[in-house]
Amino acid sequence: MIPGLGIATALLLFALLLFATLYRFSSGDTLSSIDDRILGLLRFTLYQATLSTLLSLFFGMILAWSLAHQRHFRGRSLLVALFSSSLVLPTLIVVFGLVTILGNNGWLNHLSLTLTGHSFGSWLYGLSGILIAHVYLNASFASRSLLHSFESIPVEKYRLAKSLGFSAWQRFWLVEWVAVRSTVTSSAATIFLLCFTSFAIVLILGGSPSYNTLEVAIYEAVKIDFDIAFALKLALIQLSISTLLVLLSSTLRTGLGNLKQESTSVTWKEPRYTTLLQYGIISLLAAAFVLPLLAVIADGIGADYSSILTQPLFIRSLITSLIIATVSAILTVLFALMLSDARRTFQLPERMSRTKGSKLLGLLVAFSGNLYLAVPSLIMGVGFFLLSQQFEAPLLLWAIGAVLSANVLMSLPFALSVIAPAMQKTARRYDRLSLSLGLTPLARWRYVELPYLSASIGYIFALSFALSLGDLGVIALFGSDEITTLPWYLYQLMGSYRTTDAAGVALILMLLVLGIFGGIPRFFNKRT
Amino acid sequence: MLKIDGIVYTYYTKSIPHPYHFSLEADKGEVIGILGESGSGKSTMLDLIAGFLEPDSGSILLDGEAILPLPIERRPVTILFQQHNLFEHLSVKKNILLGISPNGKSTAETDTRISQILQEMGLSEHIDKLPSALSGGQQQRVALARALLRKKPVLLLDEPFSGLDRKTRLEMLSLVQTITQRERLHTIMVTHQTEDCELIADRVYKMKNGTLLPSNPDFLQEKA
Repeated sequence: MIPGLGIATALLLFALLLFATLYRFSSGDTLSSIDDRILGLLRFTLYQATLSTLLSLFFGMILAWSLAHQRHFRGRSLLVALFSSSLVLPTLIVVFGLVTILGNNGWLNHLSLTLTGHSFGSWLYGLSGILIAHVYLNASFASRSLLHSFESIPVEKYRLAKSLGFSAWQRFWLVEWVAVRSTVTSSAATIFLLCFTSFAIVLILGGSPSYNTLEVAIYEAVKIDFDIAFALKLALIQLSISTLLVLLSSTLRTGLGNLKQESTSVTWKEPRYTTLLQYGIISLLAAAFVLPLLAVIADGIGADYSSILTQPLFIRSLITSLIIATVSAILTVLFALMLSDARRTFQLPERMSRTKGSKLLGLLVAFSGNLYLAVPSLIMGVGFFLLSQQFEAPLLLWAIGAVLSANVLMSLPFALSVIAPAMQKTARRYDRLSLSLGLTPLARWRYVELPYLSASIGYIFALSFALSLGDLGVIALFGSDEITTLPWYLYQLMGSYRTTDAAGVALILMLLVLGIFGGIPRFFNKRT
Repeated sequence: MLKIDGIVYTYYTKSIPHPYHFSLEADKGEVIGILGESGSGKSTMLDLIAGFLEPDSGSILLDGEAILPLPIERRPVTILFQQHNLFEHLSVKKNILLGISPNGKSTAETDTRISQILQEMGLSEHIDKLPSALSGGQQQRVALARALLRKKPVLLLDEPFSGLDRKTRLEMLSLVQTITQRERLHTIMVTHQTEDCELIADRVYKMKNGTLLPSNPDFLQEKA
């Protein structure tokens, strides 16, 4: 029996159920009734996703290139760890930090007014703000994968290039580009999908309907216009396109890249001007990354915590968020372990890779783990919303079900990219020995798998916990005074211009997310 | 008597079949040497006996009883691999314990047995060490100690000593020969080094293009 296959089937059936629900509630004439409004939404969604992807890749590439060649400056590992944290940084925090710096009353405008007497005015809201926020989050994500690819280039290749007298450009084009281009395409596919389905950033920084994406238009149709028919039409279009994109990109991608790997070092003494350029890039991008976080801290310090911490709504949001994040993280770890086990079962020759149909089953398992990219959380939320109309159960239960499902599916692709290679490695190394010794499943898990996997398990638990804690997706549909999470509470505070309280809550949320993301893996590492 | 009779196994690479054919017999206390180049199918043969692979046809009998229907863990077989014979993160004691207690639980009886075998193998002082603290030869000695405690009548050696220096390798081979004779084991050793067979094999087969050729009379004559 392969439990992971059961989980994969359940996830795919779940997606099919959502699709069927959306289709049943829609009038069924989705494709024939695409009008100019929908075309406009689609055009802007694709346009911002394309631009965001290109810019993210450009900045991610120059940052990774610089970091790969400058390995010995103080604070480098902290900087790399900080860039990695962008993966779990709640989008709301990023938006909050960017508004504090670049908004109408932001630091930049204040500085400009003081120095020149002129303000840059309001330019953050619209395409520029969307691009800045997307690039902020995704360039750091790309830089991490690309840095790993740079660092995986065998030292011998660098030695050969050095002996042939390559310039920095020749080295990049003839040695490094060849090694990193597959990561570029796979990162591009992932970033495009993330930006295509981006919600919170567009919702807050979009500014006007002309900068709406499909996802935000769905939200507005459900939550503001109560136009379920239009929301369904958009949801089906979105679902069809993202499924197509996931299928197309699966020919390019090999997963999300390994998020947690060791690396080898590059040995090349750079010419002075190249070193200067690399330090310039690192300093500039590090400042651009750190400033919004500092802004959240600076703003948050002034908040009245005695008032915030005693607000019943805050306490309820915090408790709900922590409970949901804990359950989501536990489920993500369990699902990731079972799906990874099923994947290795269908891939390894010692197991079932030679059995008929194993390739297809392996693909099915892999696809089920990446469902989130095809079925964005908001679409999932709409599906749950419709199901709640059909079956009699308290809305609270549907909301919790929707949020939990969205969180688990959102974390799974990242969790799988960490745990699946680690599980493959233990299986390749110890499968035959464990089988020949006839270890019981429990003994095998306790003595063979767990010692090797506990660090990765800690990492994916923390990752999933942090992602769930900061997500503003499905909760935007179900959020109310009765059902509220910390990001939803923060969004409400921002929307009602209670900026001091919002700054305090933003700081609490950021510290919680970063603390958990940095702290939990240490605890697991200590136990290994 | 271990009797491998007409085993056929077909391996496919890009739909091209590569058939393997094996037949051999091994008496108690006998070391059978299988010589062959890399990729000739030597290890495949051991995998078939151990149960990692299923043959298309043929039978394997031990004292008249078929072992092919048995799952890997219940086969009367112990195998030593080329590498990864020990769990690197577990102590010598735990590594041996997992060979005799599949749930990993120790008792006074298992502790005594482990101490005795380690003493016999000259490894007593290493009982709590991790494999990484031992030399290559000592590591394979631990694996051999575990194999002995498992008391399985068939011992399969998949070039476990190929990575050792010559002196240690010869010592290990000699140990295998002693153990095989003392415990009346059926030992099948695959190797690409003729010297290994010359030293301890009672009979030698050659694996060529997936077919096990009968023992070479010249080789035996030379050995005699």
